[in-house]
Amino acid sequence: MPDAVTAEAVDIELAEQFVTKEQQRDVGTLGMWAWLVTELLLFAGLFLCALILRIQFPADVTLATTHLKFWIGATNTAVLICSSLTMSGAIVLSRLGWRRGMLGCMLATACLGTLFLVLKGYEYYQDYDENMMPFLARPYALGAHPSTRLFLDIYYVTTGLHGVHLITGVSILLVLTWQASRPRFLQMHQNRIEIYGLYWHFIDLIWIIVFPVLYVLNR
Amino acid sequence: MTREDRATLWRHMRAPVLSFVALMALLAVNVVLGATLPFRAVWVAEAVVVVCMVLTVLLVSMEVWSEPPLVRVFSALGFFWLLILFGMTLVDYLTR
Repeated sequence: MPDAVTAEAVDIELAEQFVTKEQQRDVGTLGMWAWLVTELLLFAGLFLCALILRIQFPADVTLATTHLKFWIGATNTAVLICSSLTMSGAIVLSRLGWRRGMLGCMLATACLGTLFLVLKGYEYYQDYDENMMPFLARPYALGAHPSTRLFLDIYYVTTGLHGVHLITGVSILLVLTWQASRPRFLQMHQNRIEIYGLYWHFIDLIWIIVFPVLYVLNR
Repeated sequence: MTREDRATLWRHMRAPVLSFVALMALLAVNVVLGATLPFRAVWVAEAVVVVCMVLTVLLVSMEVWSEPPLVRVFSALGFFWLLILFGMTLVDYLTR
């Protein structure tokens, strides 16, 4: 590997508030997990609302779900699973000190995240075109079934919130890629790649739940 | 890249690649079930597949299995709170 540092040289710079580098690594990981747990609870409330609507209004929720773009949702799930693999690749290569490969994996992850957003945008456009946005001041295709509005509102809030997380994730990833392309990054801040990787895998995890809860279970 | 480099890379990437294959296979199962609806209680099978996918991401991709005990406790607690949230709320709706 021509553009690599040895695995022994991969390290982090000890901040003054920590006793050892191991402690610093563990605290970073624990801090990210503490935040991810609060994010999990945020999304869980939305999943719970969707399930309650399914129990309360089964026929209307099934009707609304049949209008969702099942195959775009499935394709997007596959795209995010691929991005998880490339993110894992970036983490592994950062541990090995293979900088060029790591940067390639990070850029591939950002590209896959962007592809997800493009497909999601196309899905929203199709929904708009088919008058499936009940919150807009325009005709609504399922106006004769008022309960479908509730489910579609949950659908847009959940997928929109996930999209915001993905936009944030891609933005941070691009900045991190730029930082990681500088010399000595892996000798001083390798754990940033691992901590960020947790966030990316979490975005994937949430979508793995969103897809069945909104698109599959209600069909 | 030398043969030794390739061997090193595969040794470290084996778990992520295997979890990727498992996740894609589980997704395929759920997509087929969702598209064909082969039996009445298909949602039970779909839910089981989702739980398997979530566990795969948590334990392999997010490496919870190899984290220090405190991190494992944090991640487990998050899902424990979800059990309380879902359990208590659904008991109300399902028993009305």
